[in-house]
Amino acid sequence: MKPRVAMGVGSVLLIALALVLPAMLGALWLNRVAQFMTYGILGVAMAIAWGYAGILNLGQGLYFGIGAYMLAMSLKLAAPGSLEGGTPMPIPDFMLWNAAPGAPQDLCCITSGSFLWIPFQREWFGVLMGVVVPAVVALGIGYTMFRARVSGVYVAIITLALALLARLVLIDAQPVTNGFNGLTSLSFFSIGGITFDPYQPRTYYLVVGVLALSLVLAQWLVSSRAGLILQAIRDDENRTRYLGYNVASYQVFFFVVSAVLAGTAGMLYVVTAQFASPTFLDVAFSLSMVVWAAVGGRNSVVGACLGAIGLSVLSSAASETPALLNAWQLVLGAIFIGAVLFLPRGLAGVFNDLLRRHAAPDTSRAASAPLAASGARATIPGQ
Amino acid sequence: MAEIIFIGLSLASILLLVALGLAITYGAMGVINMAHGELVMLGAYTAVLAIRYLDVPFVLCMPLAFLVSGTIGYATERLLVRHLYGRLIDTLLATWGLSYILIQLVRVDFGLAFLGINVPGLGPGLQNVPIPAYLTRPILIGGFHFQTYRSFIILVALLLLLLTWWLIFRTSYGMQLRAVSANRNTAACCGVNDRRVNAWTFAYGSGLAGVAGVLLSGLQTVDPDMGTHLVIDGFLVVVVGGVGSILGAIASSAVLGEINGLVALWWNDTVARAAVFALVIAIIIVRPRGLFALRGR
Amino acid sequence: MDNVLSIRSLTVEFSGFKAVDSLNLDIARGEIRVVIGANGAGKTTLMDAISGKASASQGQILFNSADITNWPEHRIARAGIGRKFQIPSIFKNLSVRQNYQVALSQEPRVLHNVFRRPRDTARIEDVLNLVGLTGSADEPAGNLSHGQTQWMELGMVLVQDPALILLDEPTAGMTVAETSRTADIINRLHGRHTILVVEHDMAFVRSICRTITVMHMGRKLAEGPVEEIENHPAVREAYLGSGGIGHA
Repeated sequence: MKPRVAMGVGSVLLIALALVLPAMLGALWLNRVAQFMTYGILGVAMAIAWGYAGILNLGQGLYFGIGAYMLAMSLKLAAPGSLEGGTPMPIPDFMLWNAAPGAPQDLCCITSGSFLWIPFQREWFGVLMGVVVPAVVALGIGYTMFRARVSGVYVAIITLALALLARLVLIDAQPVTNGFNGLTSLSFFSIGGITFDPYQPRTYYLVVGVLALSLVLAQWLVSSRAGLILQAIRDDENRTRYLGYNVASYQVFFFVVSAVLAGTAGMLYVVTAQFASPTFLDVAFSLSMVVWAAVGGRNSVVGACLGAIGLSVLSSAASETPALLNAWQLVLGAIFIGAVLFLPRGLAGVFNDLLRRHAAPDTSRAASAPLAASGARATIPGQ
Repeated sequence: MAEIIFIGLSLASILLLVALGLAITYGAMGVINMAHGELVMLGAYTAVLAIRYLDVPFVLCMPLAFLVSGTIGYATERLLVRHLYGRLIDTLLATWGLSYILIQLVRVDFGLAFLGINVPGLGPGLQNVPIPAYLTRPILIGGFHFQTYRSFIILVALLLLLLTWWLIFRTSYGMQLRAVSANRNTAACCGVNDRRVNAWTFAYGSGLAGVAGVLLSGLQTVDPDMGTHLVIDGFLVVVVGGVGSILGAIASSAVLGEINGLVALWWNDTVARAAVFALVIAIIIVRPRGLFALRGR
Repeated sequence: MDNVLSIRSLTVEFSGFKAVDSLNLDIARGEIRVVIGANGAGKTTLMDAISGKASASQGQILFNSADITNWPEHRIARAGIGRKFQIPSIFKNLSVRQNYQVALSQEPRVLHNVFRRPRDTARIEDVLNLVGLTGSADEPAGNLSHGQTQWMELGMVLVQDPALILLDEPTAGMTVAETSRTADIINRLHGRHTILVVEHDMAFVRSICRTITVMHMGRKLAEGPVEEIENHPAVREAYLGSGGIGHA
C-alpha cells in the first residue's frame, strides 16, 4: 500500500474512531480524552517547528500558557463568582481577597495592574488575544533570533530561558495573575449562544474539530512550496540563502504558526479543564512536548500528534498509583533516549519504512537514507 | 555592602562549580550534558547517605561524592554520549532523558520501592544534611560577620578551580584534552587515545558536579528535583561566558551571581532570577559567541 | 564591452590579513573565465566576496552596473548570481527532484510560496537529463555518490538559471571521465551564461576556456589567454612550476 493511501485510510479511521468515542465513554473520560486531544495540537505545533523547520523550541509551553491565560481571563470575568462582591463590574475573586482595605472596587485600580483585565470583559477579546499574543511574542523573539542567525543550540536555550522567565514573572505578578494558584472557577466557554460545558459531548466535538482543522492546515502548509523550502532551510540554511531565499522570513513565519497552534491548544485546554496555571510554563511540560514529538515522529504531523495523545493517555493511566507513575517515567525516559539514539524519525518513521518495504521491495533503498548530522531525517515529504 | 558582595560571591562560587563541569564537557567535547544537575543531586545524596549510614565526616563526603558522580559520568560517556559525538542537539536530548531516569531512580529508592522497601535518606521526600559545628560559627574579620560555611564554599571553589587549571594546563592529560578538543581526528592520528580522554574528561566534569552537590546540601534541603534548575543556570553561565573558555565561565558566573544577589536584595528572588534570564537572552542575541569566546565550535 | 561583473580595488581583510588585496577584474557577458592560483591565493575569498559570504573592507563589486558590494547573500542570489560550492552542499533529506524544485527560486517570498505547490517544470527535466540523474530523481539526494553529487549541485545552479555562475573547483575529487563530462556541461552553457570558475586542474581549464586570471597572495598576478599564461615567467615561478601546464 502506498504511504499516501495508507495515511488517508489511517486518517479516516482515526476520525471515525474520534467521532464514535462519545457513545463509548462516560462524560468524565470523554473530557479527559478531549484534554489529551489538545495536546495533540501541541504535537502538530512541534512537528512544524522542529521536524520541518528544524527549530528546537524547548519552551513551547510559553505559547500554550499565554493562550490559556488569555482565554481564562475572559472566562474568569464571566464567572458568577466574579460578581459576588456586589460590585458593578466583574472583578476576579482573588483580586477582591488580595485588595488592600479601602481600595476602589473597580477593575481599573483595585490592585496594581488590574486594569489589564478590563478589555477581557468581552469574551471574544480573550479568544482574539489567545491567538494574537502568542503570535506577537513569537514574531518578536523569532525575528530577533533568526535575523541574528542564532544557531540551533542557542535557539533552544533562549526559548527555554524565555519560558522560565515568563513563568517567574507570572508567579511574581500575584495581584494580576493570582500567582501560583492560577486562574480557577471559570465560567463555561460560549460562542454565539452555545455554551460548552466541559463534560458534554459538544465540547469534545469542538476539540476534535479544531484538532482536525489544525491537522489539515499543517499538512497543507508543509506540503506547499514554502514547506519544501523550509525543509531545505532545515537541511542547509546557507545553501538556501545562496538560492535567493530570505531564510529568516521562512523561519519566523513557521515559528509564529507553531506558536499560534500552541496558543490555540492552550485555549482549548482551558475550555476542557477549566483552569489555567503557571505549571503550563514548567520545564517538565515543555520537555514532554519534545518527548511526544521525538517518539511519535517529529517529521510527521500525524505522527507527532498521535505521539502526544498516545503518551499522554499512557501517562494518565499510569498516574493511578505513585509506583506505577514512577515506573512509567523510567520507561518513558528510556524510550526517549532510544528514540534519540536509534529512531530519529520516531515511530512514524518506522511505520513509514514498513509501508515502503511492503509497497515495492526494491525501493527500500530510499528508506535507508544516510543519517544527517543533526538527526533530522525526513521521510520524503508529501507522503 | 561587603555582605552583599560576599553573598553574591558565594552564589557565584556554587554557580561556578556547577558550570565548570558543564564548560569542560561542552567546550572540550562538544557535548551538552543536561543530566549534569542530577550529578549534583546525586552528590548531595551521597552526602546524605554517607553521613547517615557510614558516619563519614562532612568534609570527606566531598571526595566521596567526586568519586560517585565521576563514576556515573564515566558510565554515561561510555554508554550514551559516545554514540552522539557531532550531534550536539541530540546530546542535549539524550542526556535530558537520562536526567529523567536518574531523578526517578532516586524517587523509587533505586528500585527498592517497588519491592516495598523504603530506604530512609532516599525517596521523593526532602533530606537534610547536618553541617559540622566548626563550619557554622561566624567569623569576625575587621568588623564584618562572615558566614563560615559560605566562606568554605568559596574556598573549595577556588581550590577546585586551581586544580582544574593545573590539570588542563600543566599535565600531559590536559595537553591531550586540549588537542582532542581542538581537532579530534588529528589528535587521534598523533596517537592520542581520544576515547579515553573523553571518558575521563566527562568523569572529571561530573565529579566536580558531585562536589558541588555536597556543598549545596549544606545550604538547602536535598530532594530529587534539586538539579533541574541548576543545569539550566549552569548552561546560561557557560553560554554567556563563551564556549570553551574557562575564564569566561568564571567571569560570567561571577557577574550573573552578583547580579542575582543584588536584584534579590532590592526586589526578591523571583525577580532576580527573571532578571538574570532576561540578561542572558540579551547577551546571547547581541554577542552569540559569549563574552570570552575562544573559538567557534 | 558589456561587462557583467566589474570588480574595482577589492580588498577583503580578516583580522589584519588581506586575503584579497586591491583586486581589479572585469568579466564580459557570456565569457568563461577561470581563476587559478596556489592555495591561499584568495580565489575562494574572491568568490565569497562576490556571493556575499565575506564582506569587502574596501572596493566595489558591480554586477550589471549595480553595486552589490556587501549585499546580503540572498539579495545577491536574487540579483542573478548563483554559486556552486567546493564542498557539495545539497539538501540531503530531500529528493533530487525536490532539490531542483527548491532551486527554482523565481519567486522567493514566503507569503507567496505558502499558497503554492512545489512546481515541476520542463527546465528541471532538462537539467536532470543534462546531469544524467533522471533515473535517480526521486531518491534522497544524500544517497548519491560523490561525483553524482557534484553534478547534482551543478544542476541546481543551472535550474536556478543565474546570469553569472560561480563554480568553485567543480571537478574536485572527480575521475578523468567525470572531469571531461563536466567540461562538456560547462561548454554547453557558454554564451547563454557568464561563468567564473576557480580550478586547479589545468587540463580541464584548457578544455573549457580562453582567458585565465592568475591570483597570487590576494593580488592579480597575470591575466590573458591560456597560451600567454602558460609561458608567463612570473606565473611559472609562483604557481605552475617549470613544467608548464600539466596537472598543477
